[in-house]
Amino acid sequence: MWLAALVLLGCAWGVTLRAEEAPPEQAVVQILTSSQVPDFASPWRFEPVMRSSGTGFVIAGRRILTNAHVIAWAKQILVRRYQDPRLLTARVVFAGHDCDLAVLELEEPAQLADVKPLQFGELPPVQSTVVTCGYPAGGDQMSFTRGVVSRIEVQPYAHAGNRALLAVQTDAAINPGNSGGPVFQGDKVVGVAFQGIPGLQNAGFFIPPEIVEHFLKDIADGHYDGFPQAGVTLEPLQNPAYRRVLGLVDDGRGARVDSLRFGGPAAQVLRPDDVLLQAGGYPVGSDGMIPYQRNRVAVGVAFQQPQAGEALRLSVFRESRTLEVDIKMEAYAGDRLAGRQYDEPPRYFIYAGLIFTPLSANYLETFGDPGRDYLWKGLAELTYQLYHLDTEAPGAVRPEPVVLSGILPHAVNADLALRGRVLVNRINGVRIERLEDVRRALLENHGARHLIEFNTPEHGMLEALDRAAASAAHAEILRTYGIVSDQRL
Amino acid sequence: MKLLRFLFRFAAIGLCAGAVLPAQSEWEHSLVSIEVTSKVYDAFQPWNDPTRAVRKHGLVIGPGEVLTTAQNLPTHTLVRLQKGGRGRWYDARVTWWDAQSNLALLTADSPAFWEGLQAASLAEAVSRGPDFELIRWRDGNLEERRVEFGQFTVGEGVLGFAPHVQMEVAADLSGLGWAEPIMREGRVLGLTTHSNGRVCGVLPAAFIRRVLAAHRAGTFTGLGYFDFTWQAGGNPELLKELGLEGPSRGGVVNRAGHVTDPEKAPQPRDIILAVDGFEVDSEGDYLDPDFGHLVLENLANRAHFAGDTVKLRLRRGAEERTIDYVVPKARFTDELVPREVFGTPPVYLVTGGLVFQPLTQPFLRGWGDEWRKYAPFRLQYYQYADAHDHRDSLVVLTGVLPDAINLGYQDADLSVLDRVNGRSIATLTDLAEALKTASPEGVHRFEFMRGHNLQRLLLDAATLDEATRRVVEHYGLPAAARF
Repeated sequence: MWLAALVLLGCAWGVTLRAEEAPPEQAVVQILTSSQVPDFASPWRFEPVMRSSGTGFVIAGRRILTNAHVIAWAKQILVRRYQDPRLLTARVVFAGHDCDLAVLELEEPAQLADVKPLQFGELPPVQSTVVTCGYPAGGDQMSFTRGVVSRIEVQPYAHAGNRALLAVQTDAAINPGNSGGPVFQGDKVVGVAFQGIPGLQNAGFFIPPEIVEHFLKDIADGHYDGFPQAGVTLEPLQNPAYRRVLGLVDDGRGARVDSLRFGGPAAQVLRPDDVLLQAGGYPVGSDGMIPYQRNRVAVGVAFQQPQAGEALRLSVFRESRTLEVDIKMEAYAGDRLAGRQYDEPPRYFIYAGLIFTPLSANYLETFGDPGRDYLWKGLAELTYQLYHLDTEAPGAVRPEPVVLSGILPHAVNADLALRGRVLVNRINGVRIERLEDVRRALLENHGARHLIEFNTPEHGMLEALDRAAASAAHAEILRTYGIVSDQRL
Repeated sequence: MKLLRFLFRFAAIGLCAGAVLPAQSEWEHSLVSIEVTSKVYDAFQPWNDPTRAVRKHGLVIGPGEVLTTAQNLPTHTLVRLQKGGRGRWYDARVTWWDAQSNLALLTADSPAFWEGLQAASLAEAVSRGPDFELIRWRDGNLEERRVEFGQFTVGEGVLGFAPHVQMEVAADLSGLGWAEPIMREGRVLGLTTHSNGRVCGVLPAAFIRRVLAAHRAGTFTGLGYFDFTWQAGGNPELLKELGLEGPSRGGVVNRAGHVTDPEKAPQPRDIILAVDGFEVDSEGDYLDPDFGHLVLENLANRAHFAGDTVKLRLRRGAEERTIDYVVPKARFTDELVPREVFGTPPVYLVTGGLVFQPLTQPFLRGWGDEWRKYAPFRLQYYQYADAHDHRDSLVVLTGVLPDAINLGYQDADLSVLDRVNGRSIATLTDLAEALKTASPEGVHRFEFMRGHNLQRLLLDAATLDEATRRVVEHYGLPAAARF
């Protein structure tokens, strides 16, 4: 069996292994995860434990690299080495959910002492052959598939939901269970398998070496910052009239600054209608792309290369002059709630049966079908608050919008017509900017009643609670519904 | 002359018919088929005027008068009538229609059509079932089926948003909602308007009678609505907070309407205690003498039409007061994103290949039956917004017809215009005016509403007219604009 695999791999990779060399698959492990996802609508509660499996591989430092989605919400992580019957316990050292990568360590790292870590290669060229390696569904043993690199471009990374980074598409089969597995070219790792597109055949994606290296470099200081963002939206500049007005000839150079995120690093140095000629040394085309290792990829790739805190040099054409400016890149967390969150259970505060929790993408997903029916005005309002308000009215944005997620029925709250799924605007006159405001507004009120205003000021529904009765009923409600703590702040 | 003689004869029949009703077997003399060919809006090529033909039912209710629902009629190009479920089709004319009440009257000029027909009578009294009959023409035969009474409700009409009373019936039939009459003991209780599974919506005869009577008297000003929003006063603690002790009751206003004068319209945190003398309960309902408990919205049209005054008894803080509230007319044009646009063909303006249209719900419905899922969220969200920056309508870039002048903007559609050449845009007329004066740089500057979409684009001014002509010819448009 081993021999057969070796021959197969030898053929596939076109390398000859010396007798004393360990075959690369010895560094490939299966990862068995028991995870428990919180219920973001009932945030003190967790869904049933789910078991899933993925793949990982040993890298320098006796660590294992895999996808973040393989170990998200993990309660227990077990590692099975190649052709080894033992189940080894592991823990997450770093998780980069924006780039869907994670580093694990065994509880006893010495158990990997005899494994030769895999080495990373370069970004593989389009049309070149690659081999994926992992433990996909359909069997217990390691599986190998071969394919070609189909294309290289920026793709949405589904795990976070609101990030797009460089990715490589291949026709090599990448199925559930492959996730986190190495993609080989020769004996070098040229990618980490991570996602497919439902309904699209022969199209799997892997994370290229530069994304992996960026992640590994980021965590070298013991802290993961994440991929930086400049907060600039660039548009192609191909229209002759627009180019003429901006003083440019039709030479295919330059992308136009269309908008800037309020307060973002790009807003410090760029202006709308600046023309970006170079980013990080890459010439920017009028299509908004840069040449990148024999590919053309979105200029965003150049912005993702620095680490957070590092500067990116830009060449900008403004008012008939070319300027050199530096942007200090930062890992933007302002849209954290608009992306999927992991590992940190949702914050909440319960008072008299009223469940308050932050508005987030995870919370909206509890409503069900992602193809939502926006007829329901409440959902439309929450969607607008989460995904659009920051670009349209940054001054009105709340750092952490709070929703009344639901109500635990009790006599004290039974007369409230609103039963949840609504944005909290004000409580006892206090505008709710974050969850702590809910707690403060309720606990510091000494009036006869609590007055809660929902939605926006223009469309606000009202509810009131008898303060004394609510306080008196609070502990009983928690007991009735088996809730250990009324808050996670 | 011959026609007049016929009408006199028919009138006599009609008067008799009001007293002596057609027996159930004689419904074939009152129920007619209607074939409507109407224009269908092509959301992405508004210059196209495709048509669709549907068949529905009509009820002879008087001399030269066929009653039906207004659905499909506002954009009709041809209407024909057929009696007896088979045979000749007669050309017909729509003499009146109203979208908010969803009612229409037709006539046919050919005396031959009216021969043998007799008027049906709309019931005056409200009946609650339990069972009714439904009749319809099906494959040339009159089909009569039993339906079950469900309830009376208040809701928006199929075509409009003015609330009015409706009846729900349950039927083991498919394909209903084409103005089939519901009846009992020889009297018509209503016309179907729509169906959803077994449940079928019906316009009650009492509602129809009232609207028709006003129309005939020349006093129908249209249906109205309460333009403020409220919530049920079922929470006694909230009522106490707003100054009202005692049992739960009333409706708590949570958003004011267009009239800001507190002496003439309810204000946020007012509690509506009674409307037109009907006490409002803690559900926001009143007890209707005819239909039972109905939501207070119905009182906008129960005994009134648009422009009438309704007495609202309010609790405002510590005091109780009664105000005279003038019921606003339900007009699609008052909505930032109109639900319907009738009366004119779809309007558009193409300039340099950029296709602009008003943002309307018919445009959003271009995404198909499940448009609420699939139409762009941000465009849909304008439906929930108030007038935007003092604009009471919006213009959206709905498409780009590729041409040299718009090179680079192929993916720029589905953005709402903010300004063109510095001028705020609310209508296509605004846009046309703005395009008369280019910027000093020799371009037209289009700026879109802030958001994730493209923020602005420029078109060359010197060649714009020529490019527009080229686009019109190249893509076979009848004209560059239709206002």
